[in-house]
Parts: sequence; C-alpha cells; structure tokens
Amino acid sequence: MSKSMLIISRQAPWAGPAAREALDIALAGGAFDLPLGLLFLDDGVFQLVAGQQPAALQQKDLGANLQALPMFGVEELYVSSRSLAERGLDAAQLVLPAQPLDDTALTLLLDRFDQVVTI
Amino acid sequence: MKFAIALFAPSHAPSSRRALRFAQAALDGGHEIVRLFFYQDGVHSASANVVSPQDELDLAGEWRDFVQQRQLDAVVCIAAALRRGVLNAEEAQRYGRPAANLDAPWELSGLGQLHEAAQVADRLVCFGGQ
Amino acid sequence: MATLHVLSHSPFSDSRLTSCLRLLGPGDGLLLTGDAVYALQPHTVQLQALELLPTGIALYALEEDLLARALVAPERAQAVDYPAFVELCGRYQRVNSWL
Repeated sequence: MSKSMLIISRQAPWAGPAAREALDIALAGGAFDLPLGLLFLDDGVFQLVAGQQPAALQQKDLGANLQALPMFGVEELYVSSRSLAERGLDAAQLVLPAQPLDDTALTLLLDRFDQVVTI
Repeated sequence: MKFAIALFAPSHAPSSRRALRFAQAALDGGHEIVRLFFYQDGVHSASANVVSPQDELDLAGEWRDFVQQRQLDAVVCIAAALRRGVLNAEEAQRYGRPAANLDAPWELSGLGQLHEAAQVADRLVCFGGQ
Repeated sequence: MATLHVLSHSPFSDSRLTSCLRLLGPGDGLLLTGDAVYALQPHTVQLQALELLPTGIALYALEEDLLARALVAPERAQAVDYPAFVELCGRYQRVNSWL
C-alpha cells in the first residue's frame, strides 16, 4: 500500500516559482498514481482566483496546471475557509472544486496522511 | 529508521546547515538516509562553485564531503536546477551554456525520485525557508 | 497519529506560527528552529500564545538557536540538540516543516 502525502501550498501565485513547484510535486505524485491531497492555505488561496492574467507578467498560466490535477489523479483538493475569508474570497468562485475546510477540519485532515509537506 | 531528507534552501541559508547537521545526527544515531533530494533553491546547496571566505563555513563543501564519505544517494531536481542555472557538464553542453557548476556526487533527476524516497522512507523530513 | 511541526521563521515578521497554531491537533509537537525561536522572547504575545497551548502539545526548541540568540527556553519548552531532533521525528507519526 502506497504512503499518502498531503501537500500544503501557502505561496501566492506570482511570488516566484514556489507555487508552481509545489504544484509540480503534486502532479509528479499523481503521475505515479500515488495517493495525494493538496491544500491551499494562507496566500496559497490566491492561486485559485478566476480571471487572472499571468501573461501580463510574462508568466505561464498556473491555472492550466491546476486544472490538470484531476487528470493526474489528484482529486483531494482542499482550501482553508479561514484563509479565503481573510482575503475576501468566496469558495464558490474559485477555479478548482476545492473543498473548503475550517481549522478543526484542517487539523483532522493532516492526521489522515502519512506525510505532509508545507511549501 | 529510514529517512528521506529534502532541502529547499541554498548553502548560505541556515536551514541548509540544519539539514546537514540533522543528516549527520541521523547516520551517527544508526539510522539510514534513503535519499537526499534538493529542490527549489536547495539546488544551490549542491553547487560546485560556491566560494566561502576562509574564515567562514564552507557548507557546500561540507555537503559534498558528507555525501561522498557516507556514499549517499544525492539527487538534485533537474527542472529546479536548470531554472536556477545549476547545470552539470551534460546539461551545460546540451543548452550551450559556458560552464557547468554541478559535479559528482550529485545526480540530476526528476521529482519522481522525491516521491520514491518518500515511499521507501519511514519519515520524510524537509528543510528550507530560512 | 500526531504531527511534529517544524518552524524556522520569526513570528514577528511572518505568519507561519499563527497559521501553524490553528492547525495543531492534540498530541502534536511544535519544534522551533532558526528564527522561530524568537517566539520564546519574553514579554511577547507570541510567548504567551505558546504558554497557553494545551499541555498535550509538546513544545521544543533547537538549543543552538537559543544560544545564538541569548534566549532561554521557558519551563514549557524543551531545548533539544540534533540527536534529540532525530529521535523526535521517530516519536511523531509525521514531520511537517513550514518551509
């Protein structure tokens, strides 16, 4: 039985390669059929905002990689409802069907995985 | 206990030194290191070209010596490395770059190696940030 | 199924400690390394917050980082060296470093 990994992505999308590189870990794991979860926390929730124009910064579209997650078998997608609220965001308007979780649920979420990486 | 150790910071970051000291303590304590995986800015911790002042810690050199002496599997993520200008001779030639700054004992490979190590190890311990 | 959380950023300039405290489960451990040991600075709300953690949550600090910064571990926290750090990783189910 494969060990499961939760990746917690905390970086804003255009703050350097960190957001993309966190996502790459998820996609690589998915490509190997490993059980993974991806949680967007703190500024990481900004990755999920609709209507962004990365071309304005001459950056590649992170959204395309995010949309690829289910195709790579990464379907456990979560977002911190507190992080959303702090940033005035609405879970219903995100580009991914990430399940909003409150702090209590987040604590329980970590316990479900064999490993956790917070980037 | 089997450890997979991932490093996300360059050799001048305190977390790189902490990772090395942790790795040393793990081996000295009779544990096994399945793999060292350098990702994000951690690729710089494998640079062959870091020159530290004589009266300062040569952490890149310490990492290299540690990996060689303990014969560890030490992988640098190729995508993260290329993006940051950390290339071995093969990649430097492939991309027509004037110099290579990554050498043995470091191997360039993909994120699959991180996942494989995480599967085999009992604990995945990451170091990075500051 | 407890987690050892490892922090390395100063709590005064960074939100990782705040976010981490919200995620701590009963039985989890918190290891302060690098500038995160500044959370033990006396007369701060950060230290207060740590001292108010439920007793089931263990608090550790890397000894070398305390010494470097002229900090002393309060009763609530245990100073650890690298062999103890390694041993802690085995004691908890998983290690979550807030990179």
